[in-house]
Amino acid sequence: MVRVKSRYLLCEINVTDRSSLLLLNDKAIAAAVKEVVARIHGDYGAAMCFLRFSVKYLNTQTGMVFLRFPKMSYKLLWSALPFITSIDTRWKKIPCFLNCLHVGGTIRTCQKFLIRYNTQQLHRMLPNCQNEEEKEKIRKAILSCSIIQGAFEDERDDNEDEP
Amino acid sequence: MSAAKVKMRQKKLRNQPASVQCLSSSVHDEASTHPNGGGGDGPSGKDALSLRKKRSHQETGWVRGHQKSGEVYGDKMPQFITAGVFARARAAEVSAMLKAVTKTTGSCHVFGALPRHMRRRAMSHNTKRLPCRLREMANRMREKCLQGSVKKKEQAKNKSRKARRRHGNMLLEFNRRQRKNVWLETHIWHAKRFHMVKKWGYCLGDRPTLKCYRPSYRAMSTHCLLQDLSYYCCIELQGEEDKLLDCLSQLTSKEAGPTFAQRLCLSGQRQGSLVLYRAGQFPSQPLGSATFLWRPRTPGSVHRHLWTWVHPTLKQDVLAEFQSVCQCQAVVPPPVPLVIDAKVVSTTDWEPKPERKHTPGTKRKQSDKDAGGPLAKKILGDGTRSPDTPVTWKSSSTGILINDLTMEIVRYRLIGPQSHSVLTEALEAATDCDESIKSQPSCLWWPNHCKEESKMKLHQQQTDLFHTLKGVYSTAELPPGIVLGLTVDDPRLSIPPKRVKALSCVKEAQEVSDEKRKELSLRGVPEHCCESFLWEQSVRNNVTENKISEQDLNRMRSEVLVPGSRLNPVPLQGRVPILLVHQPGKQVGHEMNSWGAGWDLLLPKGWGMAFWIPLVYRDVRIGGLKMSLTHSQNKGVPHFPHDYPDCPAGAHFQGEQESELLEKFKRRPPAKRTNYIKHGCLAPFCCPWQQLAEEWDVIGSEGGIQAQSASLDDMATRVERTSHHQVPVTKQQTHFTVLRTRKSLRLLSSWCGPTSSQGQRSYRVREMPSLDHTAKKSFLASHGMSLVWVRLSVLLKGKPDLHAMVSVPTADDLKLLSRGGPGSSAPQEPPHRDHLKSTLKRGKKGTKKVASDTPSTSGQMTTTSNDPQLSCPASDVVLGVWPNPLPSVTSHCSRVTLGWVTQADFSLSAGCGEALGFVSVTGLVHTLISQPLEHRGTVLLRNPMSLQYRFAKINIEV
Repeated sequence: MVRVKSRYLLCEINVTDRSSLLLLNDKAIAAAVKEVVARIHGDYGAAMCFLRFSVKYLNTQTGMVFLRFPKMSYKLLWSALPFITSIDTRWKKIPCFLNCLHVGGTIRTCQKFLIRYNTQQLHRMLPNCQNEEEKEKIRKAILSCSIIQGAFEDERDDNEDEP
Repeated sequence: MSAAKVKMRQKKLRNQPASVQCLSSSVHDEASTHPNGGGGDGPSGKDALSLRKKRSHQETGWVRGHQKSGEVYGDKMPQFITAGVFARARAAEVSAMLKAVTKTTGSCHVFGALPRHMRRRAMSHNTKRLPCRLREMANRMREKCLQGSVKKKEQAKNKSRKARRRHGNMLLEFNRRQRKNVWLETHIWHAKRFHMVKKWGYCLGDRPTLKCYRPSYRAMSTHCLLQDLSYYCCIELQGEEDKLLDCLSQLTSKEAGPTFAQRLCLSGQRQGSLVLYRAGQFPSQPLGSATFLWRPRTPGSVHRHLWTWVHPTLKQDVLAEFQSVCQCQAVVPPPVPLVIDAKVVSTTDWEPKPERKHTPGTKRKQSDKDAGGPLAKKILGDGTRSPDTPVTWKSSSTGILINDLTMEIVRYRLIGPQSHSVLTEALEAATDCDESIKSQPSCLWWPNHCKEESKMKLHQQQTDLFHTLKGVYSTAELPPGIVLGLTVDDPRLSIPPKRVKALSCVKEAQEVSDEKRKELSLRGVPEHCCESFLWEQSVRNNVTENKISEQDLNRMRSEVLVPGSRLNPVPLQGRVPILLVHQPGKQVGHEMNSWGAGWDLLLPKGWGMAFWIPLVYRDVRIGGLKMSLTHSQNKGVPHFPHDYPDCPAGAHFQGEQESELLEKFKRRPPAKRTNYIKHGCLAPFCCPWQQLAEEWDVIGSEGGIQAQSASLDDMATRVERTSHHQVPVTKQQTHFTVLRTRKSLRLLSSWCGPTSSQGQRSYRVREMPSLDHTAKKSFLASHGMSLVWVRLSVLLKGKPDLHAMVSVPTADDLKLLSRGGPGSSAPQEPPHRDHLKSTLKRGKKGTKKVASDTPSTSGQMTTTSNDPQLSCPASDVVLGVWPNPLPSVTSHCSRVTLGWVTQADFSLSAGCGEALGFVSVTGLVHTLISQPLEHRGTVLLRNPMSLQYRFAKINIEV
């Protein structure tokens, strides 16, 4: 089939101060990306960035972001991402850098990767815990994201009855 | 984005995770305070998160781009994040992603979840093609989807085709389908061969599926064309002659031609036709045309029967008018069904008896009583009417009885010079019955008749007359409108094994009855021979009841010793009273005289198919509604309801035609439609007769003041002047009428010059006042707001179309014509400008400025500027058609419009294009007076889709 093809980049926003992550929004990230591409690749790059670039998903709690680039020029745009050192929000400049975790052809693959990555991260967090309370919470969290699959089945049934 | 699209999108993305951001201050506060306070206060923090997520879900579903709502980001962001909160955020994200990944987006089909290479053809149809894990869900989904439709479909198809086609079930189905529109008795025959249309509450054949326009015309002019006209409604009036005539005289006028009291018709020898008006409203409110037939007088009685045949669209009006005129308000209830007894009511001692009306419901009851009969009975007559609809009204003061005989009598029309030979070949006069049968009492009508000497004598005379018909060369020889009553044998008995062409055999019949033939063609049928037992309700019912079924007849035939020989003796049930009514052919004009004459065959109901097939086997052509239109067009008579725009039925028809044509027009892609505005055609679908009459009335009154200068160009300028202020001037509410006064028509006809289409000068029979200004003034004083029905024949070349414009030629045009020669061409209309389109375009661009001065289309065009409708809203505007209200219709084009054409075709009888239409009387007189004598009556015709004018000759035939 013929369709417009894109590349989805799953990036992690790394900040020194985690609380400042909550200030971010998708517009700010998009502006930062555009700005850095324009700086690195000039007008050509900026034009590329205008084409089909968008921020598809942003989670300020975890700092995950999905960026969509046109497949034709995603390498060019991707190459500019490491030059982001800070993101301008309306109130303050947040120093950060983007870490690209995954490049996918569809959002779905990115989502799948993200699931894997997140659970992995949770497992990694577990041994680093300092007190029991935290440990307990993390265990809970890990359990919740594995059990959740069964819960979804029920939900799906509910949803099906709706339409 | 439309609402539906938004909904679709939401459905598609309902499982996709939304971005998790700090959106509004309240959420932010909630989210921030708890972690601050508790430091590790898990549940509340989770709550905040989920709440936020929920909010974003509710608001947009899929958050993308900047949210306007989140303005106030406080400085009080959480100072630190504990591992627990962070872990929970991760977990929440994972769950959201899981949901997104596991659930398919888009359509609800299960196989959407399958990768492409695993999808198979027809998966939704056959769930076994799906992998096992998805099968159950797919089954569930499929059931839910198909629940509604499956139920319906199965219900409809619960019977096999064989069962459905079984006779009884078929009848039930037919009866069900007949409940909405009345079926004629020949419906099934027609439905197999014709394009059927639902019109006027009936299912009628419009045109054959064969290509047979020309053969049908040829049949009409050389042999015979058959039509089923049973849909015409018959209204019976019974009462004393004087009283009937007294009442009915209010509905007609002597000025418009013969009335009900016409001597020949009154005796019952001829059928008459007339135009009915509302009681006492002669020139203004016509109802429509009707034909009528009096039953011959019975000696020693003043009681008369009158049948009036009207078009179904007209029936209710006419019936109401009859009731009010005759003061017949008391409804005679339809009687309880009686089993038909043997008694035949003699014609002499007539008394108002309860009607024996047989409605489908009562019929069924009767057959139930008989027991063993099939439950379903074929519907004869009007299937849509409920059994208790009143059909009979009686007046206490005048003693007049009105009886609605719709669908009680079958009427077939045979058109063509050989129609009499078709009749004589297909029908045979009833044979007498044996002495032995005569002596026994019988429940059939014929044996009882045979007992009476006088009736048999009458039958013998009628039979003789019928035989003389064979010797007639052409139907047109007979006097117009003669009536012959007859009793015939069942015509099914004499069906030829193959179709044979019925031709008149003049030679062999000539020696036998030359004298008789002459008398028939000169004097017509003597009065007593016009009597038929078809007039008797009881006889009609008896005949209908006792018809032998096709099945029985075939059985009897198979039992005959010599196969293929005629049944002898003829079964007693097979005697049918019929009435033959001659239809006059073309009576007006000078060429093709009495073209299209024929016979009408009137039968009791139920016998339709029994007579239809034998007639068809005489190799006649069958025509539909289209052909009857062609017939009347060639015959030069106005066709109802097409040519009666002043009648309510005609106006209704026009409305219907307009919507139909507009619908057809709109079906074309906009780029392929004719732009009627550019062609200068104001009314391509519906002719604004009222406006035309009003405008010409104004022009005429102005012309009266200025009097004598009568050049055409001057008139044109006058038209222009009047058109500028005609809108406020004409406010009088006089409705236009069609001129039907014979005297005026004759006068107008003589003014039009030669009344033949080819332009030969005919003899003036009578001295008419010549056309001058005094005559004009006096004529227009009485007929200012009238239209006149004219016949236009194209002089050189060109075929007029429906709604072509009739225009007045200028002096230059006439010069062009007189220069003559085959190369001489008619003028052309300069193309108009479609300012409406430009206005629309401008409107699209956003500038609401309305053009105050649209440039006029050409030098001659003066009126199209500053019309009010330029500013009209563009909502219901169809591009290429003038929106209402129309500008001045007379002066819209370079030639002044006189009227429009209502029927037009290439006339096969005249060999040139011919059109029938209406023109304004005022306009016509003005035109005629200003034209030189040699070109009098020359007008221009222009089709709605062309700019080319054609010369045509106007004829008014009286």
